[in-house]
Amino acid sequence: MEKRSVPVQLEKVTKIFRDPKTKSDVYAVRDAQLEIESGELVTLLGPSGCGKTTMLRMIGGFELPTRGRIRIGGEDVTYLPPNARATATVFQSYGLFPHLDVFDNVAYGLRVRRVPKAEMATRVMEALGLVGLAELARRAPGRLSGGQQQRVALARCLVVRPKVLLLDEPLSNLDALLREQMRVEIRRIQKALGITAIYVTHDRVEAMSLSDRVVVMKAGVVRQVGPPSVIYERPDCKFVAGFVGKVAFFPVAVLAEQVQGAVACSLAGRRVLAGSMAPGVAVGAKAFLMARPESLRLGDPGDGACDGTVATNVYLGSSVECFVATEYGEILVQIDDPSESRLRPEGSKVSITFDETRVRLLPEGEE
Amino acid sequence: MFTKKKILAFLAACAVFLVIDLWMFSVLRGSYQKTVLQDKKELIVALARSAPAEAAGMDPWLTEVQKAYPGLRLLHIQGIPGIAQVQAASLDSELKSLWSARQGAVSFQTGIEAASYLEVFVAPEAVRLGQGKFLLVFAPVLNKEGDTAVGIVVAAVDESVLTSFIHLTYSLSMIAFLVFALGFGIPTFSRDPLTGYAILVLFAIVLTFVAYPLFEALRLTFVHEGRFSFAIWKEILTNKQYLSALAGSVKLGTLTATLSTVVGFLFAFFVARTSLGGKKLVTALATLPVISPPFSLTLSIILLFGNNGLITKRLLGLEHFSIYGLGGLGLVQTLSMFPIAFLTMAGVLEAIDSTLEDASLDLNASRWQTFTRVTLPLAAPGILSSWLLVFTNSLADFANPLLLSGSFRVLSVESYIEVTGMNRLGNGAALSILLLLPTLTAFFVQRAWVAKKSFVVVTGKPSGRFSDLASKPMRLFLLAFVVLASVFIVSLYGTIVAGCFVKNWGIDYTFTTANIVEALQRGKAAMISTVTLAGIATPIAGFLAMIGAVLLVRKRFPGKRLLEALMMTPFAVPGTLIGISYILAFNKPPLLLVGTGAILVICYVIRELPVGLEGGVATLRQIDPSIEEAAADLGADQATVFRTVILPLIRPAFISSMSYTFVRSMTAVSAIIFLISARWYHITIQIYNFSENIRFGLASVLATALIIIVLAVFGLMRVLVKQSEHLEKTVTVQ
Ligand SMILES: Nc1ncnc2c1ncn2[C@@H]1O[C@H](COP(=O)(O)OP(=O)(O)OP(=O)(O)O)[C@@H](O)[C@H]1O
Ligand SMILES: [Mg+2]
Repeated sequence: MEKRSVPVQLEKVTKIFRDPKTKSDVYAVRDAQLEIESGELVTLLGPSGCGKTTMLRMIGGFELPTRGRIRIGGEDVTYLPPNARATATVFQSYGLFPHLDVFDNVAYGLRVRRVPKAEMATRVMEALGLVGLAELARRAPGRLSGGQQQRVALARCLVVRPKVLLLDEPLSNLDALLREQMRVEIRRIQKALGITAIYVTHDRVEAMSLSDRVVVMKAGVVRQVGPPSVIYERPDCKFVAGFVGKVAFFPVAVLAEQVQGAVACSLAGRRVLAGSMAPGVAVGAKAFLMARPESLRLGDPGDGACDGTVATNVYLGSSVECFVATEYGEILVQIDDPSESRLRPEGSKVSITFDETRVRLLPEGEE
Repeated sequence: MFTKKKILAFLAACAVFLVIDLWMFSVLRGSYQKTVLQDKKELIVALARSAPAEAAGMDPWLTEVQKAYPGLRLLHIQGIPGIAQVQAASLDSELKSLWSARQGAVSFQTGIEAASYLEVFVAPEAVRLGQGKFLLVFAPVLNKEGDTAVGIVVAAVDESVLTSFIHLTYSLSMIAFLVFALGFGIPTFSRDPLTGYAILVLFAIVLTFVAYPLFEALRLTFVHEGRFSFAIWKEILTNKQYLSALAGSVKLGTLTATLSTVVGFLFAFFVARTSLGGKKLVTALATLPVISPPFSLTLSIILLFGNNGLITKRLLGLEHFSIYGLGGLGLVQTLSMFPIAFLTMAGVLEAIDSTLEDASLDLNASRWQTFTRVTLPLAAPGILSSWLLVFTNSLADFANPLLLSGSFRVLSVESYIEVTGMNRLGNGAALSILLLLPTLTAFFVQRAWVAKKSFVVVTGKPSGRFSDLASKPMRLFLLAFVVLASVFIVSLYGTIVAGCFVKNWGIDYTFTTANIVEALQRGKAAMISTVTLAGIATPIAGFLAMIGAVLLVRKRFPGKRLLEALMMTPFAVPGTLIGISYILAFNKPPLLLVGTGAILVICYVIRELPVGLEGGVATLRQIDPSIEEAAADLGADQATVFRTVILPLIRPAFISSMSYTFVRSMTAVSAIIFLISARWYHITIQIYNFSENIRFGLASVLATALIIIVLAVFGLMRVLVKQSEHLEKTVTVQ
């Protein structure tokens, strides 16, 4: 299949639903500003009810934005109905036509486009081959497994050669193993076709492993956009930091000093260094220092930035998760490559040291 | 999508259209006025020419003119006021007194002056004369030589000749504007114009054929001699005859509802709560009366228990027994309506979680205690709602009382007699509106009370297992009752079939096939017209119902609640009221439909729409909307989505709505009895006529034919729906 892909832009897109009972407005999406490049796979990540589906449905044309514009390939499509857009959606519930068999499901989009019979047959079989379902072409969708149904839904979208592929939690009905397989497969197909794809999920592992960039949303607002590594290592706020992985926060005061790119700050009087600083952190003000479990190390009492007692060790094979009770709550420290010498027995007094290149200052205030 | 540019373009287009529209309207009005007035003027001038010059010939001349032109009101003035002695003569006292009162007014002066110059003059302002408004035309009466005026003819021309036409053109031009604005506005502002048009069409249909006729019927009951008045309602609510009809309806409704609920409960208990066999057969038999044509049960009751009835006369030799009246009616209505109660209560009883009964038995309650303290209270809301359902059905029933009420009065028949027998349309409308009140009350009681009290516990568990609450004698009694009732129902239908082959029921029971030949010959035309019109109505109702269901379930638009209410209204409105309101609304322009086949088709469609709509809505609610969204997403427009996805998925509802419409249209009586014409007759009315003329053999043949058609259609429906059952299964798999 030929490669064809286009960028997608959202300009100040807002969607307000009116709650029929309370007569109040619900901001499902608020002033979303997004530039998705062609050929990119972007995931929309966020907790339940944060407006991911609504955003996707606006791009697909199923909902009309209350305000703002949506562009696909530079063309303003805000008011175009779904059938006039170059998008194709894989629905969470698949939405397969129960009265048509697999072949006819996939052929549907070509039929309404009046593609000649012979071409249609080859394209349908090609698409079914791509998802590995060629031999099930004459099955009724009701007699397929969840994973197979999911593939049919994908093939049905791909066969019409959309410029943008939209996927709304396509794997949420599958079991863990199948989910992992399908994830790899979707990524493979997307890359092979070079198609622009927008993928909704609330599973951070899915988002991290799949996407070129991740859009983290909360309560209708886009909080941060960036590649998975940036989102994980250099989040801009406590919410993003907490949502994409395990993290500990320490309240600090930012000192005016800079030491070789690192910022000095004080944690209850002790001087610590932070490798980076999120926008909104002011020198001289209070801030939060975020530390991932793998950027913390254990030392003898008094050595590190804060003291505590080992509460629990959780043995995971390749690593041990050590929970340390401190005055800032229970802090998780990940000990890689554990051996007897590195482990501290439960109840022993320890101190926690930061890997200063990997800890980051986040602004205080709302989550 | 309201962008500034679009709104401006739309407003500009509307303004241009409105200007053209109004210009055409004024041109039409002007030219019509001119031609009509010209006609009248010419007539009056000609009359004035023929007027005698002497006072003596005046009265005979006036009488002659009156005879030739009955609508024309003339005043003859001998002599020109101000020039000669004046003497006015007219057969019209109102016109004469107007003359003496207003002689000096400006328009009269101008008229007189114009006449004296031998000109014709039309007063620009209309004057009030009695009820209406009139235009005054002044024409000169000439002397023999024809050069001077010796008198004046003043004619009063009814203004309504002009105004009614002008009103009509005015409303038509406004409708044209509205159609233009909507037809142009929807595609401009909506990204889904087809839906917009569908909404528009449905609204137009229900406003024209539901809201408008009902409004007309209501309006008529408040009009007396052209004015607003409560006269009709006063008469209805004080007249003994009407009140006894109201009381009769309520009495009959109560009797039927109570009997039906008892019988229905016994049947329902038998089917839902005992382990006795033959349930399928019992259910099928009990539902037979629901779908059987009107008059059929009445007919066989008359054949068995009537004045010449097989049982009453032949077997028992009773002389003074009469089946006509409350008793017979209660029997027939119970037979034909207990299935409603049965089906409602069977559903309720099946939904009761039998573990509750088990728990009661486990706590050492006896079976009777369990039944009265657990089962019955749990079923109470269902029992009440089935009582109300039968009650409203009994009130609305028209066919059974029409044949069987005798001297007993009920509202539905009373309103029919008022309209067709007495030609008192207002009273008929008021009586049938009265019929609506108990129905509405029952409806609201149902909603307010039953809905709240409904504590039926639906567990969704397969209700295969339950403890048998009935003791052995009880079970025997139930079995005996159900078997006897079923046998009775079957024998009633047997009687109708037997009636086809008997020479003269009640007198001469010899076998003959002559009835069949005669009935089919005489009923052929009615049969063809009935089947044709029902056949036309069927797909229309089916498609409208499905489109309506899609709009109600899947689309958001202003006025959705109103549309739904209007589409559902005919469900609650008794047929007699619909019939009466249709002859009121559609017997005049612009929609002159009475006497055509169209009005019958419309009536069928409108009356059967609610049931199809409900079915479509229920089915559609079970279908995942993302299936339709996927179709649209893949490039299908709204019409294609409807055709290729929605319709195949709701096929069961579509087919059953169509077969229901067909059957109900074939068996309609109450509304269409007002609307049929010689050209478009109905088979049920033919059955009624044969029965009224004691030609029971002929009536039996037609009734049997109808029963066969109805059963065939339902059989066909079952086959068609079965075919798509695998499809239903896959819908729920999703
Ligand atoms: N049709 C609607 N009418 C009213 N409110 C709605 C409607 N659709 C969504 N909402 C509201 O908008 C908000 C965002 O909903 P949305 O479905 O986009 O969330 P989501 O991020 O996809 O959540 P999930 O992960 O649970 O699927 C929610 O608060 C939801 O209640
Ligand atoms: Mg969602």
